[in-house]
Amino acid sequence: MEAFELLPDEINHLVSEFYSTAVAGDLNVGLTQYSFWLLVAAVVLCVLLFAFVKKQTLVPHGLFVNGVEYVVEFVQNDVAKGVVGTSWRRHFPFLATVFFFILVNNFIGLIPGMKPGTGAIGCTAALALCSFVYFIYFGIKKHGVVGYITSLAPGGMILPMRVFVWVIEVFSLLLRPITLAIRLFCNMFAGHIVMGSFAIMASLFAEPLLNQVNALNAAGALPSLAWIAILIIIYLVEFIVAFVQAYVFTVLTAVYIQIAESESH
Amino acid sequence: MGVIGYGLGVIGAGLAIGLAAFGATSSMARQPEVQGRAFTVFILASAFAEALGLIGFVVTLIS
Repeated sequence: MEAFELLPDEINHLVSEFYSTAVAGDLNVGLTQYSFWLLVAAVVLCVLLFAFVKKQTLVPHGLFVNGVEYVVEFVQNDVAKGVVGTSWRRHFPFLATVFFFILVNNFIGLIPGMKPGTGAIGCTAALALCSFVYFIYFGIKKHGVVGYITSLAPGGMILPMRVFVWVIEVFSLLLRPITLAIRLFCNMFAGHIVMGSFAIMASLFAEPLLNQVNALNAAGALPSLAWIAILIIIYLVEFIVAFVQAYVFTVLTAVYIQIAESESH
Repeated sequence: MGVIGYGLGVIGAGLAIGLAAFGATSSMARQPEVQGRAFTVFILASAFAEALGLIGFVVTLIS
């Protein structure tokens, strides 16, 4: 099977395609392919939502307006009201912004030839830092600086134990943005690598048939039908993953806001 | 060697997703009216577990 011998080189080439390269300027000042598609996603999001606001009427008409309203109400009911609780109205704009931004970026990346803006660790780290600063800000606003720092550890236990729990809680607090960033980045990156691997397998197995048509090569090309079927299934799963990752990021941000604002936990 | 390590690591993520599916299906069988809520929680839990497996995948590729 010479197809399997060629595979490692092709996979290495595929992985190297995912490193950030500058399309304008250089890597310090300029656009990488990820930030280019990030800007495209931002423009698409602006156009979508401005068109939505312009078309909005008291009674919604049409697929587009109803569709956007359905997603907005999903964020409002499931994430903001369901997780944050009574103060959901103040946090709903931030949560909806994060949700729509990640959702549009993930879906942009699923169109062949385009890259997801969230497929670069820098972008997801910036998003995670935003939600980190956001929930710490609202925790401090609610409890005051000293109040927030002491509210990290639950009350009602002896002092040495409380200090010990406080240290653990601070550690888990600092881990939150890191896990948020890595979860989103790994899902986007790994999903595209897996899809690319199966596309490479399909083309490697079919290559002898394209060069020379005979019975042996046709039999050798049969597995590529299976690879293409798996590729299509993984592509459909990636649609679910794109939605679920936007949802997970938003829900976790809402949970952290709720924890930061709760009286004593 | 890295691929073998990834195979070992993904056992944990597979067990976690299996446990989440087990809990979701048995709770749905006991109380069919919580189906929607249980499914959301199941998707969330398996997303967390899946992320651990994917971290292993990415680390394998990068190292």
